[in-house]
Amino acid sequence: MRNLAKRLMAYETGGNKSSETQNPVAFHCCEKLRPRLATLMGDAGFRALLSRALANAECPSLRAVHVKADGSLEGLGDLHAQLGPTEFFEARVVLLAQLLGSLVAFIGEDLTLHLVREVWPNIPIDDFDFGEESKYAQTN
Amino acid sequence: MHKLIKATKPALVKQVVSKPGKVAIHKLPTGVRGLDDIVGGGIPEFSFNIIAGSPGCGKTTLAHQIVFANATPEKPALYFTVLGEPALKMLRYQQQYTFFDESRLGKDIHFIHLSDVVLEQDVQAVLAEIINQVTATRPGIVVVDSFRTLVRKASSDVGEVETQSFVHRLAQFLTSWEATTFLVGEYVEEEIRDNALFTMVDGIFWLSQVAERNSVLRKLQIMKLRGQASVPGLHTVRISDGGVQTFSRSLGSMGNSMKPAQRRLLSSGVAELDKMLGGGIREGDSLLVAGPSGTGKSALATQFIAEGLRQGEPGIMAIFEERPEGYTQRAGTFGLHLKEAHRKGMLEILYLRPLDLSVDETLEEILNSIQKIDAKRLVIDSLVGFEMALAPGFRADFRESLYRMIGALTGAGITILSTVEVEDTFTGLPFSHYAISFLTDDIIRLRYVEIDGQLRKVMVVVKMRRGNHSKDIREYVITDKGVVVIHPRRTDYHGLTTGIPHRTGPRKAQENEVAPEPKATK
Repeated sequence: MRNLAKRLMAYETGGNKSSETQNPVAFHCCEKLRPRLATLMGDAGFRALLSRALANAECPSLRAVHVKADGSLEGLGDLHAQLGPTEFFEARVVLLAQLLGSLVAFIGEDLTLHLVREVWPNIPIDDFDFGEESKYAQTN
Repeated sequence: MHKLIKATKPALVKQVVSKPGKVAIHKLPTGVRGLDDIVGGGIPEFSFNIIAGSPGCGKTTLAHQIVFANATPEKPALYFTVLGEPALKMLRYQQQYTFFDESRLGKDIHFIHLSDVVLEQDVQAVLAEIINQVTATRPGIVVVDSFRTLVRKASSDVGEVETQSFVHRLAQFLTSWEATTFLVGEYVEEEIRDNALFTMVDGIFWLSQVAERNSVLRKLQIMKLRGQASVPGLHTVRISDGGVQTFSRSLGSMGNSMKPAQRRLLSSGVAELDKMLGGGIREGDSLLVAGPSGTGKSALATQFIAEGLRQGEPGIMAIFEERPEGYTQRAGTFGLHLKEAHRKGMLEILYLRPLDLSVDETLEEILNSIQKIDAKRLVIDSLVGFEMALAPGFRADFRESLYRMIGALTGAGITILSTVEVEDTFTGLPFSHYAISFLTDDIIRLRYVEIDGQLRKVMVVVKMRRGNHSKDIREYVITDKGVVVIHPRRTDYHGLTTGIPHRTGPRKAQENEVAPEPKATK
């Protein structure tokens, strides 16, 4: 899931981890997923999914981040101030991977990729292989 | 003008129910096997329908099948979820069905969860949101699931009158936008009387499920369908990997009447029996072979099928008691090689024993097999086993169902041999437990008789609806050739039908006689 999250993050940042410092508060990937997922599960459903992803993300620095009533994230600005660009990027990769992982557990790989394709139609993810990724994760 | 939607899987039923000059009501495929026939060819386009019933009877799955059967990129489907299952959760489960195709989501099928609007705003906002989405998408199909919870919330918030006004405006709007609409809701039958919604809608698809002892029966009733005739009554519903499947209770009367005007006499496979039958079994007849256990009913049935195979007539054996392996193995001992015929596509052996079947499902299985191999002969072995294979709730209607089934099959020109086990009494000659003789054209009764200190077997043709037949009671044996009729009629006994006959003539001197029936061996 990390690979997919990284790919999406890289697309959103244009491949430059430090280039998004102008607006670090916004977590673009999450913001883009929010309306699509809210259509399918409601705002409350999206908030619950994102809160769970935050709670399960194995990244201590994310403990200071919270999900607001509208489904956006609060505390990213402080986090950005504390961490360097690479660590900040990594924290959001962890969070996004958790969110995508929850989706996969709930609706399966095919449908998750389908939703991702809907949100990012220009990112080539047809070659994405969850099986390869899990093998990679086991060996790392 | 609305362009007719092309279905992806089932062919669009492009029929017109009205006479020329009147409005043409096109029919949309349901995507549900068997349902198009029940609703009279398809769902009337632009109709406003309700899919109602208790939880777990397949309402949502039915709605999904209709959506997947009709949605196109030009005329997509909008599926609104309200307060019940969120769309995401629905997708989790619905994707398990074979009709589900995730590649169509977001293109021709759009799921929209409206719970937030319902909870945070009011019914007017819900209507506004539906109007916005429909106006933007121009769908051909709209589903609101669960409409019941939406109406309940609206009633508690704004009262009955305002809720009815909402339903009325929703119906008017969706029909004006040329959408065929399905409101899905958990209702109980008592609510139909007092609920204006049921008056307003064009179609009511009522699903139910009833637990009967250890079986659960799912049923569908088309309570109302404006603009066309649907098949009345309760139809069996089965939910499997392919989704909802329906079995029309009138399937029996809908069989194509292919019975030839000039019907041949078919050989039973036992030459002497053919003579007793007046030349054979008339093509398209239903023949009942009744007798106690061990009298050779299945052997006779196998010979009937095997003779058909010899004549190039494909056959179906629907067996309910014995496993196919045992059946074919025993047939082999009579020199009848069923496996070979099966391999060549001349024979289908249907082993139907799940204990919760409906007659309609059985009929569907048999009809499918008949179509598959163009069968001319059918064996049902046995009716007792058949009844046992049915869910308890269907057993009450067994005779009626059997009547429809036999009518449909013989109507299609199939010659049927059914077996039924009857207990031999020593006072009478019953034909079956079911009083089903009216269902059959011809009846052969097998029974045990005590003769000369031996338990022997006799047969008699009791009834031939369309022809003369022998009145003789003939003794027969089961050898390695199957059932073989031996002696001519016994004139030296009377009371053979009681099983304990009396000798009327002088007793012949006899040697220590071996039993006339060597056990069939390979």
